[in-house]
Amino acid sequence: MNSLKLLPRRIYAFVVRDFRLFVSYRMQFFLRVVSILGVVTTLFFISKIFVGFTDARFSQWRDPLAAWLTGLAVLNYFMTGFSSLANAIRQEQMQGTLESVLLTPINLPTVIVASSAWDFVQATLFSFLYLFFGWFFFNVHYAGSFMLALVFLILTTLVLACLGILSASFAMVFKRGDPFGIFLGTGSALFSGVFFPTQLLTEYAGPRLSSVSKVLPSTYGLDGIRRVLLEGRGFAEVTEPFVTLIIMLGALLPFSLWVFGRAVRRAKREGSLIQY
Amino acid sequence: MQPSVPLNPHRDSALPSNAPIDTGSAGPAISIRQLSKTYPVPFARLKALLRRKTKAPVEALRDVSFDVFRGEIFGLIGRNGAGKTTLTKIVATLVQPTVGTVAVNGFDSVRDDEKVRMQVGLSGAEERSFYWRLTSEQNLIFFARLYGLGDRLAKQRIATLFAQLELEEVRRKRFGELSTGNKQRLAVARALLPNPPVLLLDEPTRSLDPLAASRMRELIKTLARQDPPVTILFTSHNLAEVETLCSRVAIISAGEIRAIDSPTNLRSINSDAEVVRLTITGLSLERVEAILNPHFDQLQVVAGETVTHISFTRRSGDDRLDEAIRKIHEGGGTIQRAESERPTLLDVLESYEAQK
Repeated sequence: MNSLKLLPRRIYAFVVRDFRLFVSYRMQFFLRVVSILGVVTTLFFISKIFVGFTDARFSQWRDPLAAWLTGLAVLNYFMTGFSSLANAIRQEQMQGTLESVLLTPINLPTVIVASSAWDFVQATLFSFLYLFFGWFFFNVHYAGSFMLALVFLILTTLVLACLGILSASFAMVFKRGDPFGIFLGTGSALFSGVFFPTQLLTEYAGPRLSSVSKVLPSTYGLDGIRRVLLEGRGFAEVTEPFVTLIIMLGALLPFSLWVFGRAVRRAKREGSLIQY
Repeated sequence: MQPSVPLNPHRDSALPSNAPIDTGSAGPAISIRQLSKTYPVPFARLKALLRRKTKAPVEALRDVSFDVFRGEIFGLIGRNGAGKTTLTKIVATLVQPTVGTVAVNGFDSVRDDEKVRMQVGLSGAEERSFYWRLTSEQNLIFFARLYGLGDRLAKQRIATLFAQLELEEVRRKRFGELSTGNKQRLAVARALLPNPPVLLLDEPTRSLDPLAASRMRELIKTLARQDPPVTILFTSHNLAEVETLCSRVAIISAGEIRAIDSPTNLRSINSDAEVVRLTITGLSLERVEAILNPHFDQLQVVAGETVTHISFTRRSGDDRLDEAIRKIHEGGGTIQRAESERPTLLDVLESYEAQK
C-alpha cells in the first residue's frame, strides 16, 4: 500500500485522536457553543440599531446581522485554514509527540495536513453554529446557491492554507514569532470586511490603507460568499473574486511548498525538528 | 511478560507495504558507513554578519562505521553526550547525517526514509512521546493506524503485546495515570507494533523493577532468537545488562567509536589481567607468606578466624595460578574457594575515557 492509499486511514487516525482528546475536555466544548450563542445574540441586538438601513452602496449589509454572521462564520473557517497547519506542528512539538509520530512511516506534510483535519471539522461545526443560531433564533435568511458558496469557502481556505504552509515553515525554523499569523490574524478581521464594508476603509482611512484589503485572500472569499448567500448572485456575477482567488492559489501553492521543503530539510539538518 | 511466545511469526503479512528485504542471514541489518554529524549553528552567517557571538558547531559523531547483523543484539555504550542518541536518531531517520550513510535492510536513511521507518521500531526513554489524556490502548491504536494497520489487526496485535508485556490491567487507563515502569513498557509495546525487523532500544529497563527488568531482558533475547529474528541496537547505562544481552558492544566516546567487539574480548583487549582470590585452610598466615612470597609479587594475605585469604594478579595464560595451587598443596593446605575477577565493561569504558 502506498502513502496515498494510506492517507485517508492516517487522516482518520488523527481525527479520531483529536476527537478523543477534545471530548476529554467536555466543558471546553460546552462553553464554546454557549459563547457562540452569546455572540450571535449580542449581534442581533446591535443590528437592531440599523433597522431601516438602506444605503445602496452596501447591498450586502442591508441585514447587518446576516452580514456579521456570514463574516464570523467564514472568518472562523479562514483562520483555521491558515493557522491550523502551523499550530499542528507547534502542538506536537510542545506535547513532545512529534518525534514519535515521525517515527512512523509518515511524511511531514501528511502529519501537518492530518493533524489539522480535526481543526477543520471543528471549524465547520462552529461556523455552522453561527449561521444556524442566526436562522433558528433570529430569523436570518440565506439565499443563493450553497454549493457555490461552498466552492468559495474551499477555494479561499486553500489559498489561506498556502499561507498556513508558509506559517508552518516559519514555525519549523524560527519556532515562534510567526509574522504570517500576526498579519493575517489581525488583518483579516480589520481589512477583509468581516464587521463593516471594505468601502468604508477607502472613505475614512484613505486609499493607501484600504489597499491592504485588496491583497488579503479573505476579502475576496468573504465578498464572494456574501454575494452568493446574501444577494443570491450566480457564478457569472462572482467571477472577479473567483478568478482573483484562483490566481492567488496558482502563485502561492508552488511557492509555499518550495519554502516548506527547504524548512523541513533545514530542521532535519539542524536536528531541531522536535524543538520548540 | 511471556517471552517464549514469538511476537511476530507473521511479520510481513501484517505490514501494509515495504516488506523488509531479506539480506540473507549473514547480511547486515544496519550498515553505517563513515557517518559524521555536526549540528550547525542556526543562522551562523547572519549572526556573523551582525557580529553576534556564536557557539561553535557541535560535532556529535565522527567517522562512525559498523554493521549490525540480522538477529544480533548490539550494544552501544558511552557517557552522556557521547553521541549514542544522535546515532540512534539518524538510524531512525529523525536526524540527517552531515556525511556518510546509514542503510537499514538495504534502505538508505535519507533517500528512503519512509521505508526505513517501516523497518525500525524505536523505544526511547521520553515519557512525553504519548498522549497523556488518551488511554494506553487508544494511544497504541493511533500509532497502529499511522503504520497503516487496519483496526481489527491493530487490536489483535495490541492485545498480544499487552499480554506479553503485562499491560492488560492498564489497557483502559489514561497514559498520564500510568506508573513510570508501565509507561516504559508501553513505549516498548509501541516500538513492537509494526513487527519491525530492527528494534532500537534506548534504556528499555531503566524504570523497571528488578523482576520486570529481568523479564524484559528475556523478551529481548527471545526477539533476537525467533524466526525471523529481530535485530536490536541496544543502548544502556546498565553495563551488566549490556554484557548479559549483547553479542557485540561498541564503545562510543566524544562521537567516535573507540572499540567494537564482544564483551569478553573487549575486557581482554583492554587488559588480560585478572585478580585471583583463594580461601585456604590448614595453613597459617605466616606459613602462606613463607611459601608464596618468594614467587608472587603484590601478594595480599589476610588471616580470617579459621581460614586465610590470599589474592594476586595474573595474566590469562600464565602459570601463576597452577604454581600457587601446587605450593599450597605441597605446604599441606587445602583450597576451600577460588574466585577470579576480570575487568568489567565499566573498567573498559573508563580506560577509553581516560585515553581521550
